[in-house]
Amino acid sequence: MTWLRHGGIAAFIIRRLLLGVLVLFLVSVLVFVATQALGDPARAILGRDATPARLAALRTTLNLDQSVVGQYLSWVGGLLHGDLGNSLAAQEPVSKLLGSRLVNSSVLVLCAAVISIPLSIAIGSWAALRREKAFDTVSSNLMLVLASLPEFVVAVLLVILFATTVLHVLPAVTTIAPGERPWQVPTGLVLPVATLVIVVAPYVARIMRASMVEVLESDYVEMARLKGLPERTVLVRHALPNAIGPVFQVIAINLAYLAGGVVVVEYVFNYSGIGSALQDAVVNHDLPVVQALAMLIAGVYVVLNLLADVATILVTPRLRTRL
Amino acid sequence: MSESGTPAEHGAESEHAIRYGSAFVRPVLGRNLTRRQFLVGAAGVAATSSGLVACGSSSSTSTTQPTTTGKPKRGGNFRLGVTGGGSKDIFDGQNITTKPDQARLVSAFETLLTFDDDYQLTNEGLAESVTADTSTQYTIKLRKGVEFQDGKTMTADDVIYSLQRIGTQKNGLTGFAATASMDVAGLKKMDDYTVRLPLKTADSTIPQTLASYTFGIVPVGYKAYPAPQIGTGPYKLKSFSPGQQSVSERNPNYWRSGQPYFDTVTVVDFADSTAQVNALLGGQIDAMTDLPASQVQVLQSHQLSALISKTGGWVPLCMAIDMPPFDDVRVRQAMRLMVDRQGMVDQIASGYGFVANDLYSPFDDGYDHSLPQRQQDFAQAKSLLKAAGKEGLTVDLHTTNGAAGMVSLATVFATQAKGADVTINVKNDPNYYGDAYLKLAFSVDFWGTRGYLNQVQQGSLPTSPYNETHWPPKSGEGSNFASLYQQALAATDSSKRIELEHEMQKLEYDSGGYIIPFFGSLIDGYSPKVQGLVPSKGTLNLDSFGHGYRTIWFG
Amino acid sequence: MSQTEQAPALAEGVGTPTPSGRSTTLVARAMRLWRTRIGAFLVLLLVVVAIVGPYLAPHAADEFVAIPNSPPGGDAGLLGTDYLGQDVLSRFLYGGRSILVMAFVSTAIGLVFGVAIGLVAAYARNALDDVLMRAMDVIMAFPQIMLALVAVSLVGANAGVIIAAIALTTAPRVARVTRGAAQPVVERDFVAATESMGLSRVRILTGELLPNILGPMMVEASLRLTYSIGVIAALAFLGLSPDPNGANWGTMIKENQIALSTQPWGALTPIIAIALLTMGTGLFGDGIARTAAGIDRERDDE
Repeated sequence: MTWLRHGGIAAFIIRRLLLGVLVLFLVSVLVFVATQALGDPARAILGRDATPARLAALRTTLNLDQSVVGQYLSWVGGLLHGDLGNSLAAQEPVSKLLGSRLVNSSVLVLCAAVISIPLSIAIGSWAALRREKAFDTVSSNLMLVLASLPEFVVAVLLVILFATTVLHVLPAVTTIAPGERPWQVPTGLVLPVATLVIVVAPYVARIMRASMVEVLESDYVEMARLKGLPERTVLVRHALPNAIGPVFQVIAINLAYLAGGVVVVEYVFNYSGIGSALQDAVVNHDLPVVQALAMLIAGVYVVLNLLADVATILVTPRLRTRL
Repeated sequence: MSESGTPAEHGAESEHAIRYGSAFVRPVLGRNLTRRQFLVGAAGVAATSSGLVACGSSSSTSTTQPTTTGKPKRGGNFRLGVTGGGSKDIFDGQNITTKPDQARLVSAFETLLTFDDDYQLTNEGLAESVTADTSTQYTIKLRKGVEFQDGKTMTADDVIYSLQRIGTQKNGLTGFAATASMDVAGLKKMDDYTVRLPLKTADSTIPQTLASYTFGIVPVGYKAYPAPQIGTGPYKLKSFSPGQQSVSERNPNYWRSGQPYFDTVTVVDFADSTAQVNALLGGQIDAMTDLPASQVQVLQSHQLSALISKTGGWVPLCMAIDMPPFDDVRVRQAMRLMVDRQGMVDQIASGYGFVANDLYSPFDDGYDHSLPQRQQDFAQAKSLLKAAGKEGLTVDLHTTNGAAGMVSLATVFATQAKGADVTINVKNDPNYYGDAYLKLAFSVDFWGTRGYLNQVQQGSLPTSPYNETHWPPKSGEGSNFASLYQQALAATDSSKRIELEHEMQKLEYDSGGYIIPFFGSLIDGYSPKVQGLVPSKGTLNLDSFGHGYRTIWFG
Repeated sequence: MSQTEQAPALAEGVGTPTPSGRSTTLVARAMRLWRTRIGAFLVLLLVVVAIVGPYLAPHAADEFVAIPNSPPGGDAGLLGTDYLGQDVLSRFLYGGRSILVMAFVSTAIGLVFGVAIGLVAAYARNALDDVLMRAMDVIMAFPQIMLALVAVSLVGANAGVIIAAIALTTAPRVARVTRGAAQPVVERDFVAATESMGLSRVRILTGELLPNILGPMMVEASLRLTYSIGVIAALAFLGLSPDPNGANWGTMIKENQIALSTQPWGALTPIIAIALLTMGTGLFGDGIARTAAGIDRERDDE
């Protein structure tokens, strides 16, 4: 296996992939064990309507009569075949229940990413170029303050400002009709997306600035300048690729965070996505849904980290040669 | 209600709501059942683990013309925001799990009899009459020319199918418990429009039961969603995703001429009332259920309206009479003496409600107003606790973010109980309606308006589906409660029945397990462009959701 | 507030190991920066409010004072009443304690475990390192708020569960940073020297390694504290706090948000408090980070 440790980009990616699979396996065990502790799902589902006969019937449907290992294997087997089981609460396949919600949440996260990533890279780079000047001072301090605000505070303030109390220009909640897609209600997306952007962008911008400052002071950029390359070329071709490497990691982590952190934002805006599905499932002890969402969010984390690692390697010449 | 009507005026109006019902009551009830009824049928109770369901039932209808000026207009998409739903939402003409289920059911399904805004039975539903032939047999005469949404004419077969569907235990429908006295297997079709309903035991509450909204009439072969939802109601289901939204379209062949008015009705699930109020303020919905009482003024300040219906809904503190420390009647009595009832009305309900006396069903003609009103009395409470050896008692009180006020009631009670040196630890449990429900010593629950005997059947008998207090006791005072109930049910003479009901209430008043501090008003919010809403004494929000969204329109 | 594992990247520019600054001198130097001073002042202010507040409160937190949602003045007090007719000022003064205590305790537990695991992993330089870090990866795959939400619904919203969930999710993030900061130190000669002197491993880890990474650790601590406050307040905002009617800034925002147009103070007061608190920890951490990295030196001090 030593070639895996010193084998160039392909080997590196394979190594990361294997690690990712290992982590996912451990995550699945953890998710399964943790959700086993959720109590008796059959009783939770029936709630006020639990009768012994209905309980027994439901337990059989849920495979609750199998051994724990058997239950785990049939669950993982299903996962691998894309069968997420049936929702206990809604009595329909989890994939059907989560399908449209997944699209809704993805749209939210993607919009936030598409806006916040270029924005934060631009702000961070510009601040680094204008170090100690007005733009840098103002943006750095503003970013610092914004980065500290919890998302529910940001969301509530935006609702107050733009929807209910000060101005009435944007919807306070996002209502997506069955069969409708979020982009069909663009105004409803504005505030939730803005919240996520405000939550994520400042941090990425700060990292970008720090990284860019570092690179601008490096010998490498100095060399490029001495060679007489135009400043534009120096920045775009030499400084940016090197500065952006560490930022990929941060972006990946923030995107993974968004995948789970949308819980609060979806709650405030009554946005029908996986965050609200998770809350609902947890309250209903809807085991298959909790398991599917946990696996999904963990999977997103693993995949994003993998992508970030690869991207970092690819854009950073120094690291590329080190492999 | 005028267009500029303020919430306060709505509240006042419910006091003298127009009484249409009585004219229809006699023919409906037949000679055995001449008593004035405020009773609502027994069926509709349910709750979910997410907690929110209204108990109770009523499908109120009447020819009451709203006091709104202007003629009803057609058109528009009516958007209603409802809390309390989730992925457990269902669509079934005879069953509910969550509150949004109620809001959806009434759009597509109708009952044989109905209640009017003043809680009187009327025969304006799918039956022309329901007559008691003897104390154990009823005859149902159906309205002719009513079509289901697929064009099929409603006949006796559909009614028999409907009642048998509810009366089959394995179907697990909300109304099953209320069919205990019915001999559903013996239902008989006399002709296309006449059905005979035999009873196993005498039951004077049958008409109320048949008016319960979970006794919707469904066509032969009917199945719950995802099967097509075909009822006789004013709107036909177009799309539905549980926990999110449903959209229904106007039924063009609706049997009541002129109605309904909206083109579409959209029912949107909300996770909590904050987002719901924000949506109403922001204009994303036209109306909302269960406005927190303290927010009435907020709506007013935004030129929105609140519909305040003075109902008999109640949120009790439930003490299990067979579990310590409440297995000692003195402890139960002491707890009841710690409550500042008017204080609770002011604090929890912002004044929208009226003080209760640990008894339910205030609109029942058998409600005993002569029992002395309990007042807060710490000295007496302390001495009772001392006698029971329970001074300085500490006890857990379980509640959940369920119906409006469930958590507030628990916390306010905990504060008040400090006055008797009693420590109440409030446990807010999101899984309240899971494993532990009905097994807790001390808990908060919620109920809607219901007639006394119907309520007893649902919550205060050994056979009741939702008996939190484990009443009645197996021995001693109160052990004859169930037999008194059977006598009252069979009583053909209303003064005899009232006498028995008083006897039952005395037992509950002295040694029961409920603390009922007040009856809260049902408060809903709506945009002033919605016309035709009238306060009522009924159980469902927005007065039965505008009678299935057919008596309301956009002005 | 975004979740991040990369504090030292910021703290140290990119990867220059911090010279071994003892915490006292580091803080003293950091205090020359305005942002550190402002941050420290804000945190101190709100900590004092949280600790002393309950003694200054004019009413009990659950006392019925006046009609619900009364604006300030008269019986309703300086800040008016909330949705249950309770005094907003008193609830504000009571409401910081539980959040701060839970945040400090959970962050501290997470830090202790995270630093310990990170140091052991960095020092081990073998399979143990891999095992520990993969285990951390597994836990980190779950966002903090999600894990806390599931845990609280599982066991109930008691303080122990919330603290445990936040400590559990804090530890791996700290561990990763600790390992990253400690690795270059481990490579240095003096560690080998102490090893040859026969010092016990525990002594080496706590006596030699730890003091050399205090800078990044302090930055990490303030960052984690900021997030812990945010998560605990967010849980309360979602309706999951140990005491449903307990005065708690997060709960207050949830309860009184609707009434903003008629009685804004019920929600605004706790919003401002939480914002100032998290800004304070953020500014303080950034000041430490800049000082530790020697980026700004005394230039900002004007």
